[in-house]
Amino acid sequence: MRRLVLFVFFSAFSFLTYSQNFVTEDGKAVFTSKAPLNEFDGVSQKLHGLVDLDKNLVDFYLDLNTLDTGIGLRDRHMRENYLETDKYPFAEFTGKMLTVPDLDSGDWVAVEVEGIFKIHGKEKQIQIPGMLKKEEKGLVKLQADFEVLLGDFDIEIPKLVFYELAEKQLVHIEADLKLQN
Amino acid sequence: MQKLFTLILIGSLISFTAKGQLERKLVNENQPVDLIFHAPRHINLLTVEPLDKKTMHFAIMHTFGTLNGGVENLFGLDNGANIQFSFEFALSEKFSAGVSRSSRDKVYQVFGRYHLLEQRLNESMPVSVSLAGGLGVNTSNYDFLPENAPNFSERSNYFAQVMIARKFTDRISLQLSPMMAYFVDPRPVYQIEGSENFYLALGFSGKFKVGERSSLTLQYIPNLNTDLRSNFGIGWDVEAGGHVFQMYFVTSQALNEPYLLAGGNGVPGEEFRLGFNVNRVFAIGQKKR
Repeated sequence: MRRLVLFVFFSAFSFLTYSQNFVTEDGKAVFTSKAPLNEFDGVSQKLHGLVDLDKNLVDFYLDLNTLDTGIGLRDRHMRENYLETDKYPFAEFTGKMLTVPDLDSGDWVAVEVEGIFKIHGKEKQIQIPGMLKKEEKGLVKLQADFEVLLGDFDIEIPKLVFYELAEKQLVHIEADLKLQN
Repeated sequence: MQKLFTLILIGSLISFTAKGQLERKLVNENQPVDLIFHAPRHINLLTVEPLDKKTMHFAIMHTFGTLNGGVENLFGLDNGANIQFSFEFALSEKFSAGVSRSSRDKVYQVFGRYHLLEQRLNESMPVSVSLAGGLGVNTSNYDFLPENAPNFSERSNYFAQVMIARKFTDRISLQLSPMMAYFVDPRPVYQIEGSENFYLALGFSGKFKVGERSSLTLQYIPNLNTDLRSNFGIGWDVEAGGHVFQMYFVTSQALNEPYLLAGGNGVPGEEFRLGFNVNRVFAIGQKKR
């Protein structure tokens, strides 16, 4: 009998751990480059992410091959020369929220997330301000904006010829995360 | 007790998997290989490098006089250039159509490129294969000729070729291009050396990447059915801010395909000419992401 109680308790516990696990495979990520003569966006709709409110884990990754700037040749040059996606296909972020917010109000709630951002094989500790909103039926919406300096990740920009790619990339992500069953 | 232990073990395994990070997976394992060559042109030859739908590739190509005049003629630059302007429009991801105009014999050309196969990252397709063909018309004024000036048909020429390319490593790409050209009426007054109607050749293009954005390039086009000397070229490709600059030494001033095959060539090294291409791709119209 005691075992049964324990079993029930344990199942309930594992159920609980699952109930706070929100994932997405089709989030949106936008990298904006504002260079003096040329401003453009690289957009992907394939942002994969996980927010575990129970364990306080935030984990996102993006297949950089899916970034689309609207000009195919520019995409190919970006992949081959700057991001080197054959060697480093992913941009990754893994971290935790400084405080786990209470989302029961159903309004947008600001959260600070701290963790490791990795791109081009290089890692850097960063802090990202984001917004979370819980909607009905196990749906959490997420938005965040942050900046990435390409130099921090050994991505070299040719300075002599044209100012086409900005050193500072503005990153915007948004995703609808669904409760994982 | 043992059962309880098993339960805990299973339970912790479940929570362990739940806690872990997401597994990193490529969205498309079967994606095409990028940039077998830097641009749709490689020295003088077309490549398998595709254009995206609703983009236009613009190439300005020049070849100058022979180098052996030395500094007096600024290594051939004084002797006038053959200049070709080429505009190629991608009508789909697979097919593009273009027009070009080469100053040698004032040849206007319409051409098309079709991409049959694409080399894939996971080797499910080991090579890229593209087809190209075109029609050119010599629009020089031949009113000075004592005999009748050639009519439209007699001024025209055709070419067709297959491009088979593979990126072997990050650094090395090679392309094999069986080519043919046909001149309806190859008159001596045309600026070609050959007198045959039909020309068959095998083009070799090589790229050896030496820096982040630059490559050593090679071109060799042996003629298969004539005694004309083979075309040889060696050069340097540089990507710079969306442009691809191509500088090279070649044995011929010809820039379009029929003239490359029929135009005749100097001796490599001795009668080299300086050549220079600028490639740029423009987006035309709004592309849906």
